Amino acid sequence: MSNLVGGDGRTHINSPLMRESLQNKDVLSSTDSERDLQIFPDVSLVSIGGQSIFDRGKDAILPLVAELVEIKKDKAVKMVIGVGGGTRVRHTISIAADLGLPVGGMAQLVGAMEELNAILLNTLLAPHGSMPMQRDHFWDLPLYFDAGITPIAISVPPYHFWEPPPEEGHLPTHGSDFGLFQLADVLGMKQAIFVKDEDGLYDKDPKKHKGAKKFGKITLAELMTQFPEDNILDQELFHAWRTAKNLKRIVIVNGLVPGQLTRALRGEDVGTVIVKEDARG
Amino acid sequence: MAERRTLESTLSGSSMTGSHESFEYKPTAVMPDVKVVKIGGQSILDRGRAAVFPILDEIVAARKLGIQVVLLAGGGTRARHIYSLASELEMPTGVVATLGKYIPMQNARMIQMLLAKHGGIYMLPDDFEKLPLYLQMGCIPVMSGMPPFGYWEKRAEGSRIPPHRTDAGVFLSAEFLGSPRAIFIKDEDGLYTDDPKKNPAATHIARITSKELIERNLPDVVLERVVVEYLPRAQWCKELQVVNGLKPGQVLAALKGEDVGTIIRA
Repeated sequence: MSNLVGGDGRTHINSPLMRESLQNKDVLSSTDSERDLQIFPDVSLVSIGGQSIFDRGKDAILPLVAELVEIKKDKAVKMVIGVGGGTRVRHTISIAADLGLPVGGMAQLVGAMEELNAILLNTLLAPHGSMPMQRDHFWDLPLYFDAGITPIAISVPPYHFWEPPPEEGHLPTHGSDFGLFQLADVLGMKQAIFVKDEDGLYDKDPKKHKGAKKFGKITLAELMTQFPEDNILDQELFHAWRTAKNLKRIVIVNGLVPGQLTRALRGEDVGTVIVKEDARG
Repeated sequence: MAERRTLESTLSGSSMTGSHESFEYKPTAVMPDVKVVKIGGQSILDRGRAAVFPILDEIVAARKLGIQVVLLAGGGTRARHIYSLASELEMPTGVVATLGKYIPMQNARMIQMLLAKHGGIYMLPDDFEKLPLYLQMGCIPVMSGMPPFGYWEKRAEGSRIPPHRTDAGVFLSAEFLGSPRAIFIKDEDGLYTDDPKKNPAATHIARITSKELIERNLPDVVLERVVVEYLPRAQWCKELQVVNGLKPGQVLAALKGEDVGTIIRA
């Protein structure tokens, strides 16, 4: 029996979605299930902040690199590292916005600034085993882990010229926090750890408010009811996390305090731990 | 501890997580005269020669009139086939979106082969920077309509089909280029109250705003829902035109700027 179906002027391949409109709500929901395949469930994603760590220079970067070198000695720890771009990203966007460049144009430009921090980090970490990972060469990851090489991923997602118009304002919303979150989610990773310059997530910006209160362990649903106006992570990350199926745990630690990242990688509750509802234990 | 070394700029203190903009934004259009045109996958390309050749004739005719056209290809039944296999295997949306890149690419290459003698040139998604050259040479650039999000495509609520597919790619391309109207060539006269192939009682909607369309909450719509959602936020691309490529003259009329088919306005 042929798999090709004609009769209405079009040639179809027999499948449950044949002839269907992919805009139809019933058709769309027929593709869903309770879970997504988890590809690398024993891997942690580590994101190192641009403004918070790299822009502070040597005094912040070198101790963190030394900690990563120690962590790497434990071969059971599997991690992918990504980095933020920091103040140069802000400078790029402020010039681009003044020129009136479209949001897709701004999105196309910013990745280069993160890449500079990735090169710095790789230069420091390479003697101990690290390599920049090409955009979506995820299928090389088992090889990296087997060889004891830590991959440094591209953190800005490839939205580029196609960055959707933002709900408010004129700036791109899919930045490096979102990009690394998405990487951890699509690959079904164990957790995403964001290394910043505060002990976690606070209800107010602790750099501006003395009485700011830190969140300890909190569910995503609880956090959404008291969402801080100034957030240490991009809004888009939280927006995407609500419909995501895989990632259950995001940890925010202080990279200026030695040992916090190590503990987070071991699965300890350190800094702020945000968990997706059904994963709170 | 070392301080953050910050470059002074209007955003230097910003967490960039909110939308508290402290500057005036005066948008600049990149290539506002370009017509960004989608050729449907299931609706046109899967029909083969009978549907494709007359449409390409009209596009070549428009190009000869000096109209600048960029063609983006849809996916169609092969995309539906791989989406359905991947869904069964519970693949994450990002994997499904990556699989979805390949078929529009094939379709774009087919169109390029047909248009080569008229200046058809295959373009990669990140090649917008070469468009001025192609268009000044009189070429007809052809590319995949699929946005390059791939593994970074977000999951939609209640479905694992990527919400940004080739309609979204066409709209977002037009928006980046500063083109005021994106054109979608399909096999229906435009938007209907339901899928006209399945419901004979469905009636045609010639003009509608995106707000009205969202409020109607139709069971089926001719374009991807994200496009209708994004339209009111657009800086440039504030109109979507859906025309019937099976009716002679409609494509050329649309390329000349005539209001044929359905027009959805921001």
